[in-house]
Amino acid sequence: MLIQQLSPQRNRNRTKAIAARDVRMVYQSRAERHQVLKGIDLEIPRGACHVLMGPSGSGKTTLVSILAGLLTPTAGQVFLLDREITQLSPRELTRFRREHLGFVFQGFNLFPALSAAENVEVAFNVKGIRGKAAVAGAQSLLDLVGLGDRRHYRPCDLSGGQKQRVAIARALVGEPEIIIADEPTAALDAQNGQAISQLLHHLAKEQGCTVLLVTHDPRLLKYADTVHYLEDGQIQPQDSSRARFYLNSVA
Amino acid sequence: MVSIARKNLLEDLPRFLVAQAGIMFAVGLVAIQTGILNGFTRSTVRLIEDSEADLWVASEKIVHFELTEPLLTSQLEEAEQIPGVAVAEALLLGVGRWQTPQGQPDPLKIVGFDPQGQLFQPGYISEGTVNSLLQPYQVMVDRTRLTSLQAEGIGVNGTVNQLPARIAAITEDSQSIPASAFVFTSLDNANTYLTSSLSTKVNCQLQENDNLRCTKVYENSGAAAEVNPGTAPAILPLSQTDAITYILVKAQPQQDLTALKQKLEAALNETRVLTTAELSQITRQFWQTKTGVGWILGLGAAVGVVVGMVVVTQILYASVSDHLKEFGTLKAMGASNGLLYRIVMEQALWMAVLGYVPGMLLCVSISVFAAGQGIVILITPLTAAAALGLVVVMCLGSGALAIGKVIRLDPASVFKA
Repeated sequence: MLIQQLSPQRNRNRTKAIAARDVRMVYQSRAERHQVLKGIDLEIPRGACHVLMGPSGSGKTTLVSILAGLLTPTAGQVFLLDREITQLSPRELTRFRREHLGFVFQGFNLFPALSAAENVEVAFNVKGIRGKAAVAGAQSLLDLVGLGDRRHYRPCDLSGGQKQRVAIARALVGEPEIIIADEPTAALDAQNGQAISQLLHHLAKEQGCTVLLVTHDPRLLKYADTVHYLEDGQIQPQDSSRARFYLNSVA
Repeated sequence: MVSIARKNLLEDLPRFLVAQAGIMFAVGLVAIQTGILNGFTRSTVRLIEDSEADLWVASEKIVHFELTEPLLTSQLEEAEQIPGVAVAEALLLGVGRWQTPQGQPDPLKIVGFDPQGQLFQPGYISEGTVNSLLQPYQVMVDRTRLTSLQAEGIGVNGTVNQLPARIAAITEDSQSIPASAFVFTSLDNANTYLTSSLSTKVNCQLQENDNLRCTKVYENSGAAAEVNPGTAPAILPLSQTDAITYILVKAQPQQDLTALKQKLEAALNETRVLTTAELSQITRQFWQTKTGVGWILGLGAAVGVVVGMVVVTQILYASVSDHLKEFGTLKAMGASNGLLYRIVMEQALWMAVLGYVPGMLLCVSISVFAAGQGIVILITPLTAAAALGLVVVMCLGSGALAIGKVIRLDPASVFKA
């Protein structure tokens, strides 16, 4: 079984899953220059569940895009698994994402024409695994997220929570060391939101993944090993008055 | 491997069917237009290609099969004497006018040949016999032209150039589409039809090599009086000084045709000798390039390709746009551009194949139906293969236009709600 092959102790010699050094991002248009990130310094250790919170417009989406290797910062360095991804070529970055990262999105981003199993199989195909191995792997991962009996369902026949479980199964393909989840509970009701949060926390604890959750949802805080608060393009100390005010207000 | 392309394609069935209809339209236009062009040009060379001749001796001023200058009948005997010639036969072409007692006049192309000869094949004779043409004023016409000649079939009497003519046989697959109705008859009958209303005189000139070259000159003696079968003039047998149009030559076995061509051209003054393939080629080329027919039919085919490409591009572009989020997700997951190319191109290929097969079946059905109406739409295996190639290129081209949107896609867009 693919999941049983995952080792919770893998790559423990790497102390940091994600690190950012003075990351800045400026969006320049003809009319104006907008600095979204103003020197982010961040360290996320391996093998736990970490939450990045912040109000709308704080720069969360830009920061997570940069940390995922999908966006190049204007300045600064980003390290994933001790490798500086800001020095990688686009081709190398694509390969790095394929080998080390998994993604979960707010809108699920499943192929509507494909069944649950096929959506997971596509991720195997992207990683070069085809045929029976991909089919068996998809079945194992759907079993893991509790959807083994829904493998032939298309996304339109699944609930929001079930869609997100399929997306998580897809993110687990290839045993990624880092899973980046962007607002994974935003489109879910409270019950499904809690179930998904528990699942991601379980993956971090039991499977040895590093899970970075980007969210507004205060219900996720109880599953967080660390919380990073982003406001106005900067990481604020958790005990700062702005962070405390925000966390209290959303709670 | 999961076929995202096929699943995406069939996800929205109405849109898929619209796309396939567009491709079928393109296939139909290309195949039908080129089929009509093929059928048209094939019809113009049917008599040439169906003949058993190896070589055709024609005037050096020949333009194409139906447009050439006459030869002298005496040159037929000269040709027969040339070593390497197994058989030589005359063919006489000329224009005329057909009229039934109650009908309107209709232009004709009179084709005189030797009904007992071996080389000229006037199509497939479905009614009557070729030997009946040996009788005076007996003719044979193609079945597709019976209507224009206002004739029901065998036994109909009319006039050709105001001389009596009786339809004694019906042939098929002989008629050139752009030409006037062919009326096949014996060489003597043809000579009579073509010369009876003309007075003749013989002009002889002493040539540089002391040979005497004689030419019969025909002059119109005015409108001939109406003639009925009982009072018809006697048939005028083809004489040495009469005009013929071609000498068909069958070479002896193992004969080098190139050498024989040279010998014939050297021996027969003011002639050009063509192989059957060469005569066919210049005739096809004339109709395809010297007339507007090829251009017009080619334009129709081009319109089909353009329309098909626009439809396929729109459908593919819309399909790609609808799935940008998923394509972005694949990019974020680490899918290479090659994989994304394959998905879009596979979708384009599916569209090509699924549009081509029913489109071509429809075209073949139309061509079969049209053949029953006397319209030749010739869809050859080469035409079908070329149409498939064209549709595949058209769809892949459309895919290439659509894929730019995927390749330019910012993978970070997946985080935007």
